[in-house]
Amino acid sequence: MDTLLSIEDLTVVYDTAFRRVTAVDNVSVDLKRDEFLAVVGESGCGKSTLGLTVIGLLPKNTAQVTAGAVRYKDTDLLKLDRGKIRDYRGTEIAMIFQEPLTSLSPVYRVEEQIAEAILVREARKAGHLFTGKVMQETYRTNSAPGPSRFPKLHGRISLNLRNEIIEYLKLVRIADPEQVLDRYPFELSGGMTQRVMIAMALSQEPALLIADEPTTALDVTTQAQVLKLMKELIKKVRTSILLVTHDLAVASQVADRVIVMYAGEIAEDADVHSLFSKPLHPYTHGLLSCVPSGYKDENELHPIAGTLPDLSVQSVGCKFAPRCPRVMKSCHVQRPQAVTTEKDHRVSCFLYDK
Amino acid sequence: MIATLKEQKLTRTPSSFRSTLSLLFRNKESIIGFAIVAIYLAVGLAVTIANALNFQITPYEPIQQNVGASLGAPSPSHLFGTDFLGRDVFSRVIASIPNGLVASFCVVAVAICVGALIGSVAAFKGGLFDELLMRFTDVIFSLPALVIAMVIAVALGPGLTHMMIALMVIWWPPYARVARGEALRISHQNYIEAARFAGQRTGQIILKHVLPNISMTLLVYATLDVATVVLTYAGLSYLGLSVRPPLPDLGEMISTSQEYLILAPWLPVIPGLIIAVLVIGFSLLGDGIRDALEAAA
Amino acid sequence: MTNEAEAVLRTQDLKKYFPIRKGLNPFSRTEDKFVRAVDGVSISVPEGRTVAVVGESGCGKTTLARTVALMTPPTSGQVYFDGKEITKGRIERAELYRHMQMVFQDPESSLDPRMKVGASIGEPLEGLMRWNRDVIRDAVKRSLTAVGLSDEFASRLPGQLSGGQKQRVAIARAISTQPKLIILDEPTSALDASVQAQILRLLIELQKEFKLSYMLITHNIAVAQYMSDVMAVMYAGYLVEYGPTRTVITKPRHPYTIALIKSAPIPDPERRNLLQVEIKGEVPSAINPPPGCRFNPRCPYAEETCTKENPSLREIAPGHFVACHFAEKTE
Repeated sequence: MDTLLSIEDLTVVYDTAFRRVTAVDNVSVDLKRDEFLAVVGESGCGKSTLGLTVIGLLPKNTAQVTAGAVRYKDTDLLKLDRGKIRDYRGTEIAMIFQEPLTSLSPVYRVEEQIAEAILVREARKAGHLFTGKVMQETYRTNSAPGPSRFPKLHGRISLNLRNEIIEYLKLVRIADPEQVLDRYPFELSGGMTQRVMIAMALSQEPALLIADEPTTALDVTTQAQVLKLMKELIKKVRTSILLVTHDLAVASQVADRVIVMYAGEIAEDADVHSLFSKPLHPYTHGLLSCVPSGYKDENELHPIAGTLPDLSVQSVGCKFAPRCPRVMKSCHVQRPQAVTTEKDHRVSCFLYDK
Repeated sequence: MIATLKEQKLTRTPSSFRSTLSLLFRNKESIIGFAIVAIYLAVGLAVTIANALNFQITPYEPIQQNVGASLGAPSPSHLFGTDFLGRDVFSRVIASIPNGLVASFCVVAVAICVGALIGSVAAFKGGLFDELLMRFTDVIFSLPALVIAMVIAVALGPGLTHMMIALMVIWWPPYARVARGEALRISHQNYIEAARFAGQRTGQIILKHVLPNISMTLLVYATLDVATVVLTYAGLSYLGLSVRPPLPDLGEMISTSQEYLILAPWLPVIPGLIIAVLVIGFSLLGDGIRDALEAAA
Repeated sequence: MTNEAEAVLRTQDLKKYFPIRKGLNPFSRTEDKFVRAVDGVSISVPEGRTVAVVGESGCGKTTLARTVALMTPPTSGQVYFDGKEITKGRIERAELYRHMQMVFQDPESSLDPRMKVGASIGEPLEGLMRWNRDVIRDAVKRSLTAVGLSDEFASRLPGQLSGGQKQRVAIARAISTQPKLIILDEPTSALDASVQAQILRLLIELQKEFKLSYMLITHNIAVAQYMSDVMAVMYAGYLVEYGPTRTVITKPRHPYTIALIKSAPIPDPERRNLLQVEIKGEVPSAINPPPGCRFNPRCPYAEETCTKENPSLREIAPGHFVACHFAEKTE
């Protein structure tokens, strides 16, 4: 199987007014083609930062990559300059975010926003910087005369473009695409806007879709619909998905592989079935036993003792050691390296060090 | 007992007041602003104490005339020169600093108090009451400072206190608006509802919960506003509505020495500069405070 | 339903409508429409037990909680607390809140950021019980200990606490008056998984120790299942299913409940229920609900009757009530 994305020894640091926080600490992850990978962890574990780093959207002023590489199809994205990254962002790698309502512009209709996305794609493919030229050349039939930088008015969007947009809306299972085209984002429900976001992302024909907590703000039934959709899409349009979520249960329902992060490091990395049937890292174990699972008859929740460590402090040893029920002497001294136990099941814990 | 839970330790660092203060000083401009204001305050304080204790801190008596030495240019013995009556300008400037400061602080303080109360009561009572209060605020807001000051001058006679009253009457509406906006925002916070569950009545909620939480925003607004008050006060005293001669006052000094602009430029220019520097100082300080608070958030 | 003598809280056909006015004119009367937030809900909370009110956004569960707590007056219907009617009666809210308290969803905004933790916890004691300062101070200490926090927390500000600690403080505040009923409005939704587990355990232990009754509002089925004895499912303002939690979870009968439970993600990759959920459409508008059963546009079992008549709750098994014309089909 082909490896699409390879993150190697990545370390990302945030420099705020008061302190320096190591958000991602020496992380290595591989994502294969057509794979649905979930990165799971609690708040502050660095999972969102990881997603933002891949797509190059880290806040410029405060965040800094201090080590590592992000190899997308053998190109190190971190070494590219601003302009080149933009070529990838939007065409090869797309991202959707948690709050669909704030991710879409409130002053343009759905049709216009998706059209813009498509035009940008076409412009990049043709090597043009501005979409005006592209609009002229590619979609001249039925469009109004004269180049326009953005598709502005209803009726000026060519029929071809409109049909393509409708196809994408149908792809995300929106029931009345023609109706939705004319709506503004605030007129749509959360689930609908999230689908529109997915449609916009897909219209770029990305090979990789990064989804940062896409369903956290949605109702449970809507979440189920959106997750179902994402799973279908892998097969239909051959897009690999990197899902960032705090919800282990969600990850178990849709992912092929799951990575558990803690305090900026990877605790465990395994196939979804192995992870849930045989969780190796004590943190994973702890997470699993503190999620109330609706179907088990015995109802014991075992919370993980203690609190998250301060990421601005350089720690010695395993970051989970203060809270670990199976802590040993060596855990306080050295940071455990990743160890591969069975096929594709990696864990960073001295319990499994040979 | 809760046997299974271990006791929790505090995880966050205690009060970040000091660190916010350090943010304030990161930036050159706010340090300058702070320095300027500090100097003025120190001088003002010194003069006030000296007056209270009845001893003279200025090199010369501000009202002492010496017509023989009138219109002298700045020199080592008279740092800012002398005016048309031979009075030492430097002493007069020093002596007049408290006026501007006291006036500005009092006006702003009253504006905050009145504005905060009116704004929060309007926000929490809502409905018709809110409408009426806000329209009343708009009416006051539309009154021009100068006209009101003059009316009051005619009614009560000129003087520092009367000028302060005039300004206090019309200065509060923007604070009421800001306060109302903030109070509305806070009214949706859970701790306000929790206060109702704690048996607190609306008035108690406003005093205990709303006012303390909107004070920060109002204070930031006020620090940016003080500069404007200083300027307005200077304008009013220029028109002669404030302190009467021979007592020194910066605005008044400018207006009486206008005619000597060519002959003795230091007479109108120096007081003007003193005012300008104070306004700049407050502006820089205000900006610095606002930036520091935003960065700390 | 439950024996009325045992119920600490009971609602009878409770309705809460919010009027909408056209345009900006505050005095306009024409074409008054209503948001039917709660449209005829009758539930009861037995003493010492937890009733979970489950539903998604817009179903009315939060409005139900606020109406029951008299935060907003009901449009019609009655609420009985400890047998006494509180909606029209002479019971003062101050009197009521000695026995009924609430814990809110967002711990960040539950505490006044300018007030010390001890003062926040003592506020209900000061406002409702009128005890003097020393008595209050001791009571605050006891509350802090009960929720697993040390004394030094009393003099801290909320900004120095983590989310989980803030929620504990909120709970400490709620139990300080030793109420009979606590309404928990999504108490753990804003917290991380591990913290959530701590808080849930804390709530259960407090319930045992102080013999509290809980009305738990949540959209999280797993939490409802863990905490509650009775489960009430709400959809578009009314109750669609009601019964012992175990029964409702294992044998749901209303099509909406079935979809809801299937959609709840279970941390088990071998049982991917989520991918089998068959539900289409969106939650209906609360102003113009569909005629008949409000779920009918989305229901896989809908028939003609469903568009004409809104079904009322009927007992389909002992203690298990469903509001569906065709509940027999869903077995």
